[in-house]
Amino acid sequence: MKCPALSVKNLSIRFDDSSGRRQVVDRVSFSINAGEATGLVGESGCGKTMLSLAIFGLLPSTGVYVESDGIEINGHDISTLSAKQKRAVLGRDIAMIFQQPGTALDPVFTIGQQISAVYRRHNPGDKTKTRQAMLDALEDVGFGELEEIAASYPHQLSGGMRQLAMIAMATVCKPAVIIADEPTTALDSSTRLMILQQLERLRTKYQTAILLISHDLTVVRQSCSDVMVMYCGRLLEKTDCQSLFTRARHPYSAGLLSCIPQIGNSRPDGINAIPGQVPAATDLPRGCHFAPRCNRAESACRQSVPDFHYENGKGVACFRPL
Amino acid sequence: MNSPMQQPSPPLLEIRDLSLRFQKPERLIIDRVSFSIEAGSTLGVVGASGAGKSSIARTIMRLIEPDEGKVLFKGEDILQMDPRQLMATRQRIQLVFQEPSASLSPRRSIQQILLEPLQHFSIGNAEQRQEKILQTLQTVGLDGDVLRRYPHQFSSGQQQRIAIARALVTDPELLIADEAVASLDVSIQAQILQLIQTLQKDHGIAFLFISHDLGVIRQIADDIAVTYRGQLVEQSSADQFFSAAAHPYSKALLSFASHKPPLQPKGNRLRLGRGRTESDKAPVCVFARHCPEKVPVCEQVEPADHVIRYRNQHKAGRHCVKCHLYNKVNNHDF
Amino acid sequence: MTRDTWQRLKSDRYGMCGLLIVAVFLFVALLVWTGLLGQSWSEVTGSRWEGISSSHWFGTNMLGQDILQRTLFGTATAFETGLIVTLCSTVFGTVLGALAGWYSHSWFDEVILWFKGVLDSIPFYLFAAAIAFALQGSPWAMHLAMIITFWTTTARIVRGEVMRIKQLEFIEAARAIGLPGVKIIFRHVLPNTFHILLVQASIVFVAAINTEVILSFLGLGIQDGVSWGLMLAESSQEVLAGHFGNFAAAGASLFILLMGFNLLADALQDAMDTRKVTL
Repeated sequence: MKCPALSVKNLSIRFDDSSGRRQVVDRVSFSINAGEATGLVGESGCGKTMLSLAIFGLLPSTGVYVESDGIEINGHDISTLSAKQKRAVLGRDIAMIFQQPGTALDPVFTIGQQISAVYRRHNPGDKTKTRQAMLDALEDVGFGELEEIAASYPHQLSGGMRQLAMIAMATVCKPAVIIADEPTTALDSSTRLMILQQLERLRTKYQTAILLISHDLTVVRQSCSDVMVMYCGRLLEKTDCQSLFTRARHPYSAGLLSCIPQIGNSRPDGINAIPGQVPAATDLPRGCHFAPRCNRAESACRQSVPDFHYENGKGVACFRPL
Repeated sequence: MNSPMQQPSPPLLEIRDLSLRFQKPERLIIDRVSFSIEAGSTLGVVGASGAGKSSIARTIMRLIEPDEGKVLFKGEDILQMDPRQLMATRQRIQLVFQEPSASLSPRRSIQQILLEPLQHFSIGNAEQRQEKILQTLQTVGLDGDVLRRYPHQFSSGQQQRIAIARALVTDPELLIADEAVASLDVSIQAQILQLIQTLQKDHGIAFLFISHDLGVIRQIADDIAVTYRGQLVEQSSADQFFSAAAHPYSKALLSFASHKPPLQPKGNRLRLGRGRTESDKAPVCVFARHCPEKVPVCEQVEPADHVIRYRNQHKAGRHCVKCHLYNKVNNHDF
Repeated sequence: MTRDTWQRLKSDRYGMCGLLIVAVFLFVALLVWTGLLGQSWSEVTGSRWEGISSSHWFGTNMLGQDILQRTLFGTATAFETGLIVTLCSTVFGTVLGALAGWYSHSWFDEVILWFKGVLDSIPFYLFAAAIAFALQGSPWAMHLAMIITFWTTTARIVRGEVMRIKQLEFIEAARAIGLPGVKIIFRHVLPNTFHILLVQASIVFVAAINTEVILSFLGLGIQDGVSWGLMLAESSQEVLAGHFGNFAAAGASLFILLMGFNLLADALQDAMDTRKVTL
């Protein structure tokens, strides 16, 4: 069996600085095969962005402790690489699309220059080849006027176009894995659809594995086959999208889904909400982190942490799943 | 029985032909917008993210002076009011913003933030003000001990509750919520919407709820107004809108919002479209360029507001559409 | 919020070092002001150019005055100059900068900017000389010259900050209930500029002391007392004769105090910057 494109084993991130000790990510494991798109869903502060930065090694070196049993891309463990070796991998085998295209792109360089820079980093030499690769990348993401876009500066493009330019930067080296962190926030619905469609095209064309991080469940539903739900640093559920939306097993997942406002034929009488609040990272409850807010919690939930039970590619971390 | 001398009381808020022009570059941000809100009801204003909807809110609060039109609060034009009247009116209309962290003054304690409107409008004495503050905090689901803390010490959900408390402390009759839940996580959004529902039901507060999210609007709006490029292209009751929206743009919005999985890759190439600023002098339908249902007249004459009357199980009421397709339709039974 | 800042400051070793240095010097200045130290700075207590001895710890200068006494008195002068100039120029600059920023692009703003431009283009030392001349050698001429020219930098910074802050929603919220502009500026805008002002103030303090040194060389500095600048000016002739006492004492004091201040200002800036990456 072919090894997965991305495989993360027991990744944990701990912060230990003047604000206190915080377990930001707690033993998260998952894998994504080539050509698949998996969504990582969770609310602000659940650790999903930290997770992606840790995979990349973009976290600060002081006050932050990252541990794992392995972060593998196509079977090669990158967590043990030296900084220099890692730099060879980033951009070539794994690439990231950030949340704010406005600030992620350098305002003083043209789109073409920035994309070419990424290509050249991993394929030094031939200028014509670089230029061609850059133009191909632009065409791949769906731009029409390639030369014009390549010569434009970020501020000359709309938000949606900047995001596409970022995607082009991420895909120019045809990486095996792409991590997209909230790629469609701050974009309106029609642009959002366009971005997701382009990601989809790239996925099928180059068999890239995509990890799509979002707080928006509906975005994940539109573009991913599988989804993982995170809460307070822990993975609570992993399943295929269809199952999650029809038969979520973890109470938190179900609660989250019930909060999404639906457009039905009649106005709902009441609005569903999960009671309580997300606990502060320095003050996480013992046992299951969701227990204080869960209406199915019992004493076992507050004493010990439920393990993540895997069965037929699906998993849930709960003593009393739905 | 109504005596002939009795006049029906004016709606709580009525906007008539409001227009606002931007100077550089010249653009019509609000284009002859008219709508009204009855006391205790909620109007949801939807449309793509853009300056038009927020500008309407700011014009009502008289933070911007419009170029034309009237803003009538209980029959009196806010734009013509003298400072004293304006101050009395401002007590009755309050605003809640999108970013809770940015809408609370960072160096002031919650106590100071909540006290400020009471002091400014000279409401009650010191003791009454304190009681009002505590009462309002309870309404929004917060404890009295938040008072001595500072905004940055709270989560965004709590901050938004504080912002709502600040708006409620003067006992307003109308609350304008400008994308008030757009920045919140979905579970917190749900909690805030629950709060808004309580304010609607138990306190009878009217809302002008601006949002790009139709799902959210569905939860709390009685009526809907759809904006496109500064114009109001459709207005109707919420039930009518979600079951039988008329304007092609409204239908497009509804289809985007219905979250159909999965995607079919399309082959369209993306054009730069640099020349976005077009002259607003051209008398065509503002949506004609992108409309899938357009007919030749759409690019020649600007459509008027056509009224579709309907009688069915939904509340019988006015349904207005700014579209040529409904030109010949009158007294249409849906 | 200030507690957070203090925590961060405490953990910065260089910053605490700077704070200590400044505190020690300030203490000395206080002792001088209350008459407990350095009072005999002008008395001739020894013969010229005595070396280091038990009665004159730093030796004596060309006139036989005790260098240690003069150094101590100089500390008070340095703080006096620094504090007066900093306080006045900061207040003046903040008020004008805040008003210019709030009413930006109005005629008021244009006038203030023009005024700033004019003052900035006058060569400072000529200006100081002109003021000294106009005020007939008053001891405040130096302070006045500095205040009149230093406020412009503070005003420029405050203006920029105010222009940024007034776009934020909490300002809109204040305007929405009808609060008048001036109240909004003082209640909501200015408190959010304090972090910048504090850092700017420490920079001005250092600049004031430095400027006083140069003015003393030109004879435009302190008229009714002694300062390190004056001592350095005196020493320029003494070192030619091989006597370094004056130069060493004044130079070292100046160096240590200003370095302490710079360390403190840097650390303060870091400690107050809430946007520092903690992810």
